[in-house]
Amino acid sequence: MGEVILTMKGIDKSFPGVHALDHVDLEVRKGEVHALMGENGAGKSTLMKVLTGIYKKDSGTITYEGKEVEFHNTREAQDAGVVIVHQELNMLGHLTVAQNIFIGREFKKGIRIDDKKMNEEARKLFDRMHIDIDPKETMSKLTVGKQQMCEIAKAISHEAKVIIFDEPSAALTEAEIEELFKIIRDLRDQGLGIVYISHRMDEIKVITDRVTVMRDGAYVGTLITKDCTKDDIINMMVGRVIYEDPKTKNMTPKGSPVVLKVDHLNAGKMVQDVSFELHKGEVLGFSGLMGAGRTETMRALFGADPIESGDIYINGKKVTIKSPQDAVKHGIGYLSEDRKRFGIVVQKSVAENTTMADLDEFSNGPFINKKKEKKVAEKFVESLATKTPSVDQLVVNLSGGNQQKVVIAKWLTRNCDILIFDEPTRGIDVGAKNEIYKLMNRLAAEGKAIIMVSSEMTEILRMSDRIVVMCEGKKTGELDISEATQENIMNMATREIN
Amino acid sequence: MANKSVSKTAGTKKSFVDRMGGQQFIVLIIVIVMFIFFSAMSPGFRKYTTVVSILDYSYYIALMAIGVTFPLLTGGVDLSIGTGLICYSLIGGLLVRQHGMPVAVGMIVTILIGVIFGIINGCLVALMDLPPFLATLCTCMITRGFGAFVVGGYGIPWPAAGQDGGWFRSIFKIQVGGQNIPIGFLWILLLVAIMSFVLNHTKMGRYTRAIGSNKEATRLSGVNVKFYHIMAYVICGLFAGLAAIAYSAIFATVQPGSGAGFEMDAIGGAIVGGVSMSGAVGNVTGTLIGVFVICLLKTGLPFIGLTANWQQIITGFVLIVAVLIDIFKRKKESGK
Amino acid sequence: MKKKVLAVLLGGCMVAGLLAGCGGGKEASSDNSSSDDSSSGGGDYTFEVVVKSFQSTYWQAAIQGIDAAKDELGVKVNTTGPNAESDIADQVNMLNNAISQKPDGIALAANDQNAVLDSLQDALDAGIPVVCFDTGVPDAPEGSVIATIATDNEAAGAVAAENMYPVIKDAIANADGQVRIGEVNQDATSANISGRGMGFINKMKELIEADGKTVAVIGNQFYVDQVENNGDEGSADVIIEVAVPAQTTVELSATEASNIMNKDDTIAIFGSNQVTAEGVLTANQNLNVLAATPDEGIVGVGFDAGATLKAAVADGTLIGAVTQAPVDQGNLAIHALYDYCEGKEVSDIATDSYWYDASNMEEDDIAPNLYD
Repeated sequence: MGEVILTMKGIDKSFPGVHALDHVDLEVRKGEVHALMGENGAGKSTLMKVLTGIYKKDSGTITYEGKEVEFHNTREAQDAGVVIVHQELNMLGHLTVAQNIFIGREFKKGIRIDDKKMNEEARKLFDRMHIDIDPKETMSKLTVGKQQMCEIAKAISHEAKVIIFDEPSAALTEAEIEELFKIIRDLRDQGLGIVYISHRMDEIKVITDRVTVMRDGAYVGTLITKDCTKDDIINMMVGRVIYEDPKTKNMTPKGSPVVLKVDHLNAGKMVQDVSFELHKGEVLGFSGLMGAGRTETMRALFGADPIESGDIYINGKKVTIKSPQDAVKHGIGYLSEDRKRFGIVVQKSVAENTTMADLDEFSNGPFINKKKEKKVAEKFVESLATKTPSVDQLVVNLSGGNQQKVVIAKWLTRNCDILIFDEPTRGIDVGAKNEIYKLMNRLAAEGKAIIMVSSEMTEILRMSDRIVVMCEGKKTGELDISEATQENIMNMATREIN
Repeated sequence: MANKSVSKTAGTKKSFVDRMGGQQFIVLIIVIVMFIFFSAMSPGFRKYTTVVSILDYSYYIALMAIGVTFPLLTGGVDLSIGTGLICYSLIGGLLVRQHGMPVAVGMIVTILIGVIFGIINGCLVALMDLPPFLATLCTCMITRGFGAFVVGGYGIPWPAAGQDGGWFRSIFKIQVGGQNIPIGFLWILLLVAIMSFVLNHTKMGRYTRAIGSNKEATRLSGVNVKFYHIMAYVICGLFAGLAAIAYSAIFATVQPGSGAGFEMDAIGGAIVGGVSMSGAVGNVTGTLIGVFVICLLKTGLPFIGLTANWQQIITGFVLIVAVLIDIFKRKKESGK
Repeated sequence: MKKKVLAVLLGGCMVAGLLAGCGGGKEASSDNSSSDDSSSGGGDYTFEVVVKSFQSTYWQAAIQGIDAAKDELGVKVNTTGPNAESDIADQVNMLNNAISQKPDGIALAANDQNAVLDSLQDALDAGIPVVCFDTGVPDAPEGSVIATIATDNEAAGAVAAENMYPVIKDAIANADGQVRIGEVNQDATSANISGRGMGFINKMKELIEADGKTVAVIGNQFYVDQVENNGDEGSADVIIEVAVPAQTTVELSATEASNIMNKDDTIAIFGSNQVTAEGVLTANQNLNVLAATPDEGIVGVGFDAGATLKAAVADGTLIGAVTQAPVDQGNLAIHALYDYCEGKEVSDIATDSYWYDASNMEEDDIAPNLYD
C-alpha cells in the first residue's frame, strides 16, 4: 500500500426528506483494493456519485492527489483519472469494442475517424490486461464478462488513477470472476487505487486490503481485511440497534395445512432451483439483498414471467401457471413492489380499482354493475379503514398507505387465499406501516397465507413466522422466527454459493 | 445464462450472407429477382424508358430515405419529410414563378427551408424531449398548412425543360441523341457514398449510431449528445430539401396539400433495407436498396396488370415482413 | 452563453410555430379564406361557401367566379375549404361552422355525398338554403338543396370522346389487328370522376360501334362492370383499357399511363382530370410517344387546365383537353342563392364543358375557364 491518493472527509448530502450521507469519510491509497460495504440503501452508490460529480455534495471535502477538488460531471472526473465501472454496463451494444472504449475521444485523421488506430490502441490495452478480446467485435456479441473487461479497459485508457468497481461480479461466472480478480490485482500492483463495492463477503476477504463499512448513510468504520472476520464486518453492517418488537415465535397454528408448495422452480438466472412451502395462516418472509431473485421468484410464481422448470402445488394439487390469469384463478394475489406501475390504475377511482381483478363478478354481460361495485368497494373501505372521502375518489389522490389498502382490497375481492406482498411498505410512512402490518396479521389470523418479500430487516423480523433467505437467485436458507437474528440472516444473504 | 456462455472472440465464423452485408445482400437479391420477374411478366416493363421512369420517380424517395436514415438510427423518426418536401418546393418555386428570382436562388431557398425545419425538429426532440413521432407529426401538419398558405392554394409549376431556368431539370436527366440519360442516379450514388462515409467514418455518424444504441451511456462518455441528436434531424431536413429539388425537377406541377404519405415510402424503404426502427442498426446503402424495392413495387405491380387495391395490399405485406424481420433479429440478439 | 441564446430563440420560433399549427387545426381554412368583407359595402345578404379544397387551381378559378358575383350583387361571401379533397371530416366541420354562422345561404361543393347529409338536415332545420355546385348530393334531405349547379360529367367525358374519335377514326378503320385506347381515372369512388370516365367510354364505344367495329372495355373492375354489352377482349377490334392509380399522386398516375402507352397497339390515351392528365404528360417525358395523329404515335387528350396542361395543349403534345366552367359555376351558385333570397324561382343548372385545343385557347368564352 502506498501513499493516500484520495480522501473524502465529512461528506454530507441530503435529498428532500432523506439524509442520504451523514458526514461520511473514505480514504483510498495507491496500490490498495478498498472495499466499500453496507446494506442496501446504506449510501455506497450515493457516495460514489458524489465523488464522480453526478451529485453535488452539501458539505465536506474531497482531496485527490494532494489537492482539494470538486468534479462537476463524470467527464471531469474521468479526465482527472477517477473512473467508475458501473454495475449496469454502460455499453453501446451496436458499436465495436474499440469504438466503445474510445467513444467521445476518437482518434482522427482529418475528419475521418481513424478506426485502425483505435483498434491498435484497444489491442494494446487488452495486452496490458493480458486478455484476448477482438477490438473489432461488436459489443453485444461479447459475454457479460468480456463486456465488463472492456469497461475496465475503457477506464484504464483514461489514465485512471482511481477505479471504482460497483458490484462488478454480480453478473459474472466463476471463471470470469477469477479473471477479473487477476486484472484488479494487476492494476493494484501498478499503483492504482481501487474501490470495490460488493455484497459478496467471501470476495471481500479474497481481493480487498481494507474495508470501509457504511450504515444508514453514515460512516461506521474502516478495517484491515486480513485482521477481521466476516462476522466483524456483518456486525458493523447491521449495527447494534435493537429493532422494535420482533416476533419471537411462530404464530401459525400447529398442523396447519400446506396451501402452496413450490418445488425446484427455475426461471432464468434470477430463480434457480427454489423450493419452499407455505402454510395456511402463515406469514412467510423472503429476505435477501437487492437482486437476490426474490421478486423474480414471485413473478414466476404469479405467471408474470415464464417458468422454465419446477412444479407448483396448491392445496396438494399440481397446477400449471402460465399467466397471471392462471394464478388468479388458483387464488393467488400479487401486490407488486411497484404499485404505480403494476398494482393500481392511479387515474381510476377506488371502486374501479377494487373490482378490477374480478370484473366478471360485477358485470351483466358487457355492462358493469356500478351499484354492486360501489357497495363492495365501500365494504372494503370500511373493513380496511382506508382513508378516502368516497369510493369515487381517484386513487392518485390517496396516500401511499391507503393506495396499498386499495390493492389489498382488490385481491380480497377476488377471494385470493394466497397473497404475495412484495415490499408492502415501500414508500409508506411509519404510521401507515403499522396499519398495514396489523392488517397483514389479521389476514393471516383469518386463514390467508401470506408471502412477504422485504428488504427491510426490521420488517422481516417483525412480521414473519418463517423466513426464506435468497442470494443470487438461489435459496440459501430457511429459518423459523424463533432462531432468526439479523446476523444469521445477513450471513445467509451474503453467502458464497458453492 | 452467463454461466453457460462460451466465450466468443476473434475468429467467429460468419455466414456467407453476413459477410456479404447481411440483410442488404438479401434485399439486393430481392431487387434483382423482382426486376427479372416484372421484366418477364410485362414487355412494357423491360423497356429502357421504363427503367428511366423508375429512376425518375425514385430520386425524391431515395433522397428522403437517405436523410431519414439518420433520425431512424438515433431511434427516432421524421414524419415531416413528405409534406415538408412539398412545402419547401412550393416556397422555392413561388420565388421563381411569381417573384422572378433565378432558379438557382429558388433551389437554395428550398434546401435552406428544409434545413430550418430540420433544426426545428431536432430542437423539439433533442432539447425539449418531445417524442420524435409526435414532434415530427406536428411539423408534418405545420409544413402541410404552411406550404398551402404561402402559395395561396395555387399549384406551382417550376420552369419546364424548354423555358427560362428549365436547365435545372437536366440535373437529373439529360438528352443525348434523343435518348434520355438518367444522370440523377449518379448523384444519388455519389450522395450515398458521401453519407456512407459520414455514417461510418466520422464522429457525426458514430455518435448518431451511439445515441440510438444507448443515449445515456453516450452522454456519460462525454459526448455532446444534444448537438449530435439535433444534427441527425438537420441532415434529414437537408435531404428533404434536396428531395424537394428532385421532385420539382421530375414532376410538372407541385400541388399544395399533397405530400402526406411520401414519408412512408422513404421510411419503408429504409426499413426494408435493414434500418432498425429501434435505432443504431442499418446504413445508407441498405436504405438505397430498400427504396428500390418500394419503387419497383410501385412501378412493377401496375405493369403486370394488378389493380390499385392489390398494389396497396402487397406493399403493406412487404412492409410487415420487413418490420417482422427487424423484430425477429432484435429478439434473437437480446435472447442470446 | 451564445448557445443558450440560440436555444431560446429557436424555442421561441417553435412555440410560435406550434401555436400557429394549433390554430390551424381548429380553423384549418382561415388561412385559405378568401373572404373580403370590406369591399362589398352594404350587401344585404351573407353567404357561406364551402369548396372541395384549396389544393387545386381549379377551385381558385371557381372562387374567381364567386368573387365576381359578390361584387356584382353586393353581397357578403365567406369562402372556406379543406386542404385536400380527401379531408372529408374537415369539410363537414367547416360546413357545420358555416351553418352555425346563420348565413342567408350556403353554397357547397361536397367532397363526400354521404358525409354531409346530417349537416344538410341541420341547415334545413335552421332554414338556411343550400346550393350545391360542382357536385350534387343526390340523397340530400327533401327541400334542403334548392338547386344543383354542376358539370354534366357524363357529357364532359363524351366531349372528350367526340373530339378524340375523328383523329383516330382512320387508324381504327384501317388497323390490321386490335388497337387500344387508354383511360386513366384518378379514382373509382367519386361521382364526378366515374361519371366522366363512363361518359368517355360509352360515347367512344357508341361512335366506334356506329362504324361497324367491336369494342371491349378492360381494366379497373368498377368501370368494366358498368359497361353494357361489353365485347370480348380476345376478338374485339378496339380495346378500351381503364387504369386507376393506387394513390392520387402524379407519379402513380404516370406509372399507370406508362403501362398503357408502352403497349404497341395503343393509339390514344385520355387522362380524366388534372392529376391524371399530368401523369400522362410525365410518362411521356421518357416515352416521348404523344403525337398529333395515330400514325406518328399516341394521341393524348386531357381534362381540366393548369399551367402544365395548357402548355402541353398549346404546343400540341396533347391534341386538346376538356375544361369545365368553374368560373361560371361559382358565379351561378351565388346568383342562385341571391335569387332565392329575393323570392325568385331557382332550378338545377347543368353547366357546359368546353373542348379546347391550340386553336381556340385564347377565345373569350374559353380563356377565363383555363386557370393556371
